[in-house]
Amino acid sequence: MSLPTLLEQYDYATGIWDEMCDRQQIREQYSKVIATLKQFNVSDLQQKDRLAGELFMNQGITFTVYSEDAGIERIFPFDIIPRIITGQEWDHIEAGIKQRLKALNLFLKDIYNEQQILKDNIVPASLIASCPHYTREVFGIKVPHDVYVHISGIDLIRGEDGLFYVLEDNLRTPSGVSYMLENREVTKRIFPELLAASHVRRVSNYPLMLHEILLQMGPGQLSNPLVVLLTPGIYNSAYYEHTFLARQMGIPLVEGRDLVVNNHKVYMKTTNGLEQVHVIYRRIDDEFLDPLMFRPDSALGIPGLMSAYRMGNVAIVNAVGNGVADDKAVYAYVPAMIRYYLNEEPILPNVPTYELSDPDARQYVFDNYTQMVIKRTNQSGGYGMVMGNKVAPEEWTRAKAAIEAEPRSFIAQPIIKLSTVPCFIDGTFQARHVDLRPYALCGPQGVQIVPGGLTRVALRKDSLIVNSSQGGGSKDTWVID
Amino acid sequence: MLSRIADSLFWLARYMERAEGLLRVTATHNLLSLDKDVNGPLTWRPVLETFTSTGEEEIKAIEGNTGAALKKLLTDTANNNSLKSIIGKARENARGIQDYITKEVWEEVNSFYHLINQPALDNRLSNYEAADILDLFTRHSVLYTGITDITMARGIGWGFMNLGKYIERCLETIVLTDKQYAVNQYKVDEIKDIMQWRHLLMSLSGYELHLKTYRSYQYTHDVLHQVLFNEDFPHSVIYSLGRIDRHLQDVTKGHISEENAALIRNFGRLYSKVKHLEIDDLNNQTLKPFLAELRHDLLHFTNLLSQKFFSYA
Repeated sequence: MSLPTLLEQYDYATGIWDEMCDRQQIREQYSKVIATLKQFNVSDLQQKDRLAGELFMNQGITFTVYSEDAGIERIFPFDIIPRIITGQEWDHIEAGIKQRLKALNLFLKDIYNEQQILKDNIVPASLIASCPHYTREVFGIKVPHDVYVHISGIDLIRGEDGLFYVLEDNLRTPSGVSYMLENREVTKRIFPELLAASHVRRVSNYPLMLHEILLQMGPGQLSNPLVVLLTPGIYNSAYYEHTFLARQMGIPLVEGRDLVVNNHKVYMKTTNGLEQVHVIYRRIDDEFLDPLMFRPDSALGIPGLMSAYRMGNVAIVNAVGNGVADDKAVYAYVPAMIRYYLNEEPILPNVPTYELSDPDARQYVFDNYTQMVIKRTNQSGGYGMVMGNKVAPEEWTRAKAAIEAEPRSFIAQPIIKLSTVPCFIDGTFQARHVDLRPYALCGPQGVQIVPGGLTRVALRKDSLIVNSSQGGGSKDTWVID
Repeated sequence: MLSRIADSLFWLARYMERAEGLLRVTATHNLLSLDKDVNGPLTWRPVLETFTSTGEEEIKAIEGNTGAALKKLLTDTANNNSLKSIIGKARENARGIQDYITKEVWEEVNSFYHLINQPALDNRLSNYEAADILDLFTRHSVLYTGITDITMARGIGWGFMNLGKYIERCLETIVLTDKQYAVNQYKVDEIKDIMQWRHLLMSLSGYELHLKTYRSYQYTHDVLHQVLFNEDFPHSVIYSLGRIDRHLQDVTKGHISEENAALIRNFGRLYSKVKHLEIDDLNNQTLKPFLAELRHDLLHFTNLLSQKFFSYA
């Protein structure tokens, strides 16, 4: 079958924003790409699809899915058709994320020091006190340049109205940036002429920008601080990304057992003895960092690390305790934070959020649960999520009981139909839902964002869940001028 | 360099060298098994005894069955030393040091791993494709060596990789030599048919060199000279020891400590035992204990090396 016919058969639902088509018209930003695609036939695209799969497999770009205690290695499914965002749309997104991160950084500084925002009753103190990620152990610790969120991956979605909304803030150890970079590398192989003709903004300088920021976090008097990337090890689901970033930045990739703390300083165990470490870009969660301070059973961490951190002898990136700012219940207050700290109106809106600890809101959600998605405030990766329109009655009864038992651990949001884009699946073009995770870097000079980010796509028909652990894939994301 | 990385580099190189040795021996044996041997049909027993820890009963059951023996040696995951297990361990080591080794080296190890994990492999081994598959694997093994040589940076990490590689190679030569001479009750002075030695020489890829270099008919004596003392033969004991000596200097350079000095002395003693030996000193009585002592000394040196450089956990 020829591609033009396939494109005519492209079927997208009404009432959902489709990024390629608008009332049978192809939007301008997609027109050039589609015109080029029409020169290929289906078997060309299938060939490209296979090639892309092989490229990922041979490079070992795989992640591990955990279910029933067994980890399985898979490649992260990749769809060959790029997702396109116009330069104008992007500039809006960029401004919104910069504003949001500025406010969140100020919030973290405030909440671990003076706590003005609580005293002024903008955020209820009870909300922070009940947040499991509020880390009392780091209260009063001064971090270099007052930067807490060096690396963030804020999830955006596009609603029925075509506007971008912030779905959640990932401020701890967001992953996926290597896929953003590798997707572009694969696209360079499979659609070279298309990429060159489309004026796509560049993403490949991300590792260098990150390296720059990491170096700036070192002690000022050192010209060449030792920066390391701390990984949980080869069994971690994002291990590929850790090796990728370490290699791209040229910094050592270390595990907890490679480091030791002596006299409040952190050292690396080398073949010629100990060498002092100044900056740790960690990809380990807070609770595993230091068995003396957090979970005593952690074998991944370094005993005594937090004491070195408190003495200012080592910088940890991202800062410890950031979880309080990306808690899904605290999320509802981010617009208020922007108004409070910056005296500005939020550029990117939030999705309406109901805190289930509020009895009225809880009742409202219970009455309308079929239009709601219920999330745990402290879970990520799509685990522990209840989609109200798909849930079976007995499952709902169970979920309801869990909510009533600890309402603070849940929030509800109206189900938003994410926008759709065309995907090349089984030799046809099909509409699938996507979100967007731009990666922002924050250093002493402010926030920088590489144009684009990771587009995650729900590969199952009609599914709204884009997480890689739940059957999601990804696409290359083009910001074109 | 991180001790953990040095450790993984050392073992990556050792496992890849072991895989190469296993492949050469298996491929040689597979080809020779098609001919009828002077002592009746060729058995897989010596190969199985050298490379696996298979019990006597199982060896008896499969020694005459090429398909079963190949499965045991190459793809059996219950066998800790099968090619599949070895490559799996090599990849595990490479995975942990992906930031240190080059992308090219990682991709070669990774694709070798995926190749040997193809589900259809067992079937193809029992058919007449075995020789082709062994060829393909050997080519991957050689490719790994070439890619490593071309892309890896020199320096201390290179030193640890080569220490692993040549320690493994030296041990392999000692063990295979011992196995072959045991067949003749270590009789060095007996003149035997060259066909007897072809197996050992081809397994160490030294058959052509032998034909070109040695002109007498004292095969038993000549082969021993080649595998122990021939400096031009890259699988000889003396060649491997020379390389170990050089790379030991690389990894200890610039760090004067008593521990380093002791390590160098220990190796020096072992090296001179071979370097200053006359081949005529090896006779029917002394050959067996000499090989055993050499192996023991080398293993002891390896222990010292890992205590010095690889202690981190």
